[in-house]
Amino acid sequence: MTSTPIVALERVAKTYGVFTALHPTDLQVEEGEFVTLLGPSGCGKTTTLRLIGGFEAASAGRVRIEGEDVTERPPYRRPVNTVFQDYALFPHMSVAENIAYGLSVKSNNIPKVERQSRVSEALAMVGLDGLTHRRPGELSGGQRQRVAMARAIVRRPRVLLLDEPLSALDVKLREGMQVELKRLHRELGITFIMVTHDQTEALALSDRIVVMNAGRIAQIGSPSELYDNPATPYVADFIGATNLLDGQVIGRDGDEIALRIGGGTIIRSRRGTAIPANAKNVILGMRPERLLPSAPDVANTLVLTVKENLFHGDRLRLELTAEGIDRSIFTELPRTAVAAVSSVDPGSRLVFHIDPADVMVFAGEKNP
Amino acid sequence: MTLTRRTFPGFAALFSMPFAWVLLLLVVPYGIMISVGFWTRQFPLFYPDFQFGNYAQIFSDPQYTTVILRTLKIAALVTLGALALGFPLAYFLVFTVRSAALRNLLYMSVVVPLWVSYLLRAYTWKIILGTDGALNSLLVSTGIVSAPLDIFLYNQTAMVITLVYIFVPFMVMPLFTVLDNIPRRLIEASEDLGVGPFMTFWKVIVPLSLGGVIAGSTMTFCLAFGDFVAPVLVGGPDGTMVANLLQTQFGAALNWPLGSALATLVLVIVLVLLQISSRLDTAGRVELT
Amino acid sequence: MNEEKRGMSMKILKTALIAAMATASVLAQTATAMSAELNILTWEGYATEGFISKFEAASGCKVTAAYVGSNDDFAAKLAAGGGVYDIITPSLDTVPMMRLAGFVAPIDTAKVEGSADIYPEFSQNGDVVAEGSTWAVPLIWGSVSLIYRPDKFASKPDSIAVLFDPANKGKISMWDDKSALYWTARYLGYDNVFDLTDEQLEAVKAKLIEQKPLIRKYWASAGELTELMANQEVFVSNAWTGLTSKDVNNLKKGFEVVEFTPKEKAEGWMDSMMLVKDTPNEECAYKFMSFMQSPDGQCGIAESTGYFPVNPKAVAGCMDEQMKKDRQVDNVEFVKSLVMWQQPKRLDKYLEVWNAVKAAP
Repeated sequence: MTSTPIVALERVAKTYGVFTALHPTDLQVEEGEFVTLLGPSGCGKTTTLRLIGGFEAASAGRVRIEGEDVTERPPYRRPVNTVFQDYALFPHMSVAENIAYGLSVKSNNIPKVERQSRVSEALAMVGLDGLTHRRPGELSGGQRQRVAMARAIVRRPRVLLLDEPLSALDVKLREGMQVELKRLHRELGITFIMVTHDQTEALALSDRIVVMNAGRIAQIGSPSELYDNPATPYVADFIGATNLLDGQVIGRDGDEIALRIGGGTIIRSRRGTAIPANAKNVILGMRPERLLPSAPDVANTLVLTVKENLFHGDRLRLELTAEGIDRSIFTELPRTAVAAVSSVDPGSRLVFHIDPADVMVFAGEKNP
Repeated sequence: MTLTRRTFPGFAALFSMPFAWVLLLLVVPYGIMISVGFWTRQFPLFYPDFQFGNYAQIFSDPQYTTVILRTLKIAALVTLGALALGFPLAYFLVFTVRSAALRNLLYMSVVVPLWVSYLLRAYTWKIILGTDGALNSLLVSTGIVSAPLDIFLYNQTAMVITLVYIFVPFMVMPLFTVLDNIPRRLIEASEDLGVGPFMTFWKVIVPLSLGGVIAGSTMTFCLAFGDFVAPVLVGGPDGTMVANLLQTQFGAALNWPLGSALATLVLVIVLVLLQISSRLDTAGRVELT
Repeated sequence: MNEEKRGMSMKILKTALIAAMATASVLAQTATAMSAELNILTWEGYATEGFISKFEAASGCKVTAAYVGSNDDFAAKLAAGGGVYDIITPSLDTVPMMRLAGFVAPIDTAKVEGSADIYPEFSQNGDVVAEGSTWAVPLIWGSVSLIYRPDKFASKPDSIAVLFDPANKGKISMWDDKSALYWTARYLGYDNVFDLTDEQLEAVKAKLIEQKPLIRKYWASAGELTELMANQEVFVSNAWTGLTSKDVNNLKKGFEVVEFTPKEKAEGWMDSMMLVKDTPNEECAYKFMSFMQSPDGQCGIAESTGYFPVNPKAVAGCMDEQMKKDRQVDNVEFVKSLVMWQQPKRLDKYLEVWNAVKAAP
């Protein structure tokens, strides 16, 4: 049942002199997937995309597209198209000329009539009919983004590469375009590989997310896998937010382990099974939204002092401190939960409860 | 109002010098030149007048039109030559040379000759192209020819070669700037869309460098059009250009009125060229985003 | 040689900056008025260090010289900005024009020591003495003959025809000067060289245009002709007798150039000193004119140029017999064998014809 992956990286690496942008990396992308490369700037995600597009030559390893080795092929001989971060529209051509550009190549042998109909089709698909004769300089950011999309999809590539396609747009527009991207992916049925540093975007759009860090893949998984079962503190913190605390294993009891954190507080976790038996120092991860106010006599509680409270509309974000813990702990309370506590003013002491099933435990000596 | 009055002394101090410079060294001389063009000459003197005899002479006597057409031809050839050399050079500097330090060094080596005396540089070509010159020595010593050729020097070809060499920096400088300003992403986008380097060059790089081509060509053309040294140093008996004609009218022929009329005509030709160039530039201008 | 090259570039630059010179002349005038200076507009070789330094030491006048490439430059430069020069040294054919244009002042010959000893053929010439005044002090004279490379010709040429012979295509040079018309007129057999009719001028013009493809380069200064000959660019040209052959042969390039007088005769010229009108340096100017009639002046200029002295008494003691013979001392009869230059009756017409020839394709 396993088909050939549409894109495959085999031990692909990229170095610039002494700097390693990408350590030897393996990656398979299946036909029709929406895969996102996610990470902060400098993590190697753009390099990876450019290696697939052919704009960078791999220092080592092979790049395969549809099973074919394209490592040595220039961009214009790869069955992929790219939506560039700044769109890279040709300023001296009209919208229609920009879109038709990739169809005019001799080797394509596309009759003029068909070219025109394909341009119109692409324009309609991105909702840009009527702007065909404008120059890119006369378009808004969102319109340029759509032209860049149309220009790339008009060539009917097997794989569409998107390099931070929405980062140049303002927040409102970005959310609308996310929906558009999702729709296009569904309608076109081709593979999308997108680079972004925005985890919300990645979570909303992707079938699978490749989290990258310092030139390596940190974890690959579906959005919910990554969110629920991050493999490392780094992923835990990058996908959603996580309060990361140092802790020591003080006992094991079946599938539960007891952990001591700063100030002597004991926290139980039911997710420590993957931790080596002899591990002593570990890192605890607690999602802010899993820390809920509770009565003081309940098990698995933390006593925290409010340092600052921030109004977030439907939720309240609290910055909290605890004795013996040198960093702030954050929590986000629904407005309804706030009503249950006496005060959220700075200085108030509150008791929080966390379910042992929600306490993540990672091997490791020290907080990242 | 108050503000205007308060800043006037500063304004005057700042702009009076440039204004005086423009007035005294540009506007007044041009005014004099244009009016002398209507004077009459009674050899060896000339008298203020207002008549069109000088212009009539310029347009009726074929020697003047011959020289003007020849000058236009030479200037056009120099422009084409400088473009043919300058474009690949600028392209090479911008797109092929990876190291910024090496690129700057090479760019400087193109521009630095401008600091060397014009006469010296033109004179060098005389030494290279002469019958006993470097080029002939090479050809004879390599056995390509048995005796030195005299076809290299003292003709229009030598003038074009010399002028191309002298003015090529004026072509390279604007070309380098426009090429350097073309976002690399556009070239990547073109290649991404399946277009190879050759067609990318014609469909993206050339259209986007037109501003530099126009600027460089205009500068080179105008400089070559007004040149008078190359004809004297490396030109032959058929090398007289408009500037030499002007030199003669103000010099040996002692006919300032005719010379002024001719100079006015040259000014008009140059202004028309600049106008055309500016039109082309506006038409071809694109916003690089 | 150095001086000659500088002379040429100065000619180019100065003519180009003719407008700027008007301003410069005002400044120069102010400067010259302040100290004993003398500014001479003259020919290459006429103000060389050797004898000028003697004059400067004796008179206390500092000499600054600028050079012309042809007689037509005098009027051009004076018209551009009077006051830059104190003395000019045009040839006899240009002397009347300087007077008619009002560029020069009459000369008090009593103030010019030794002027009485100049060959009367020159000092009393109808263009030197006119309207009851003396306008010029003869300086030096000579001829314009032909110069050629004997090793490049099977037989010794004897006619101006050598300049028009297609066999010499690409190896001919000619002086970039209206005198090209005189040479062509004589080649065509006209004897009214300085008063050609319109038809004759047309014929001369046609002949010169026909000759153009044979010409490698018109020479604009003695230095340029020396270079053309020394670099083997040309093998034959007209030349200022004495100067070019001396300079080329001194370079020892492994070949010799030889002067010869064509059967149509050589041309004769006489350069004289004229006093620019309203010069602030009149005293130095008279001192200079006197010095140039002295043994130091006459022998000095004759030596540096290869031309002939105009004052036999002055050179009596500073030339040996052979040199006196070479330089036609006391042989003013030689003048009669030459076509002595005169100002063309229609100078402007001649200039126009020559310029039309140069402009032609």
